[in-house]
Amino acid sequence: MLRHTHRKLYILVCIFAGVFLIFGKISYAGENNFEKLRRESAKIKTLQADFVQKKFMKILARPLVSEGRFYYAAPDSFRWEYFKPLRSIVISYKNTTRRYIYSDEKMTEDKTGGAQAMKIVLNDVAGWMNGKFDQNPSFKATVKEGPLTKITLTPVETSMAGMIEKIEITLSPKAGTVKTVKIFEGASNLTQIDFNNVKINEVINSSVFQDVQ
Amino acid sequence: MKRLSLLILTFFLFSCQTLPVINAPSSSTERKSFTCPSPFLKEKYRLVHAIETRMAGNTRSAIIGVTLADPSTRSISCAIITAEGMALFEAESGPRGIKVNRALPPFDSENFAKNMIEDIKLIFFAPDGKFQNRGYLPDGTTVCRYLEDNGDWIDVIENKSAGTEIKRYSSSGVLKRHINFNRKAKTVYRSIELQAYETFDYSLLMTLIEAQSVKTIRRKH
Repeated sequence: MLRHTHRKLYILVCIFAGVFLIFGKISYAGENNFEKLRRESAKIKTLQADFVQKKFMKILARPLVSEGRFYYAAPDSFRWEYFKPLRSIVISYKNTTRRYIYSDEKMTEDKTGGAQAMKIVLNDVAGWMNGKFDQNPSFKATVKEGPLTKITLTPVETSMAGMIEKIEITLSPKAGTVKTVKIFEGASNLTQIDFNNVKINEVINSSVFQDVQ
Repeated sequence: MKRLSLLILTFFLFSCQTLPVINAPSSSTERKSFTCPSPFLKEKYRLVHAIETRMAGNTRSAIIGVTLADPSTRSISCAIITAEGMALFEAESGPRGIKVNRALPPFDSENFAKNMIEDIKLIFFAPDGKFQNRGYLPDGTTVCRYLEDNGDWIDVIENKSAGTEIKRYSSSGVLKRHINFNRKAKTVYRSIELQAYETFDYSLLMTLIEAQSVKTIRRKH
């Protein structure tokens, strides 16, 4: 059960990773120079952004829209929070990861073991945060330059088959800002996350990574 | 030996449970004006709910459920999505049976799709079994009873204080599902609670995110 949850959350981590990647001065990726990207990523100490997530599925006539906010502080603290339609928070601080959902007018910890699984995959996150996205054997990373630079992560593990086809990270022409992360789960099944109000290296109170309210 | 006897006695007590007694409307006027509760869909609808799962009274997790239900054909498409947007389960049910298009653990068990489709039908579709009885339960609530093809009994209850309820009993009268449409909610599907009585009891608390009527375009030839 934990292994299965691990795999599911692995995908979630990919989303986080995509964000971390892009907020680095990713223009270097266009030069296909991952080493430079790693060096630039190391300059990010904190990061915060709003996001709008759109879920496209055949069963949905129009996309299901979720909104939230994301915070990160080096080396390994983050908060991924949804405000609507379903309030939930994943926070990680000092090697402890917890997931909360809104229930009975308060945030309640998710007891399904998902947070523990998150802890396992955080090692991968740390790698990505350091710009090592081309070194994870689970994904093959490619960069395509054009009016908008696009990074594609393709799973190479057979265990991911049927769960996720690829992740596309599109960069805005302005270096250092993310435009969109798209997660393709299958035919007619797509999650698109658009980021805005990006702030890099501004002070974030540590309580953001500890308190859920 | 005593324990075994107690176990056997308990088994027989449970297997001999009876359905709640229905008292018939007493007067002809009451009989004429009697209407069966019907919280069911009248047309094809797409509904998106936030769903909290609870065991032993504690919230365990929360997911998003999408249901596309057509009462005229009794066909259903459904999906379960995490808050993070990942589709965990997709299935459809129609005249040709159930087709699972996607099922990630823990939603990949053999009976999950069948049970989920049955629960969705119980909530949104009028029973397709034979009408058996109507009247009042001992507490005065209005009830109509149906017998399903598989031998299960379905009571659709209108409780003036608690709201509309649906109860599914096994052929031997054991309560298996209890659905409650919250009376305080503005629309019937705004807040739904499903209580399942299984080896491990659980409940689902469904809060409506959006509902959309789906107009089917019929082409003329």
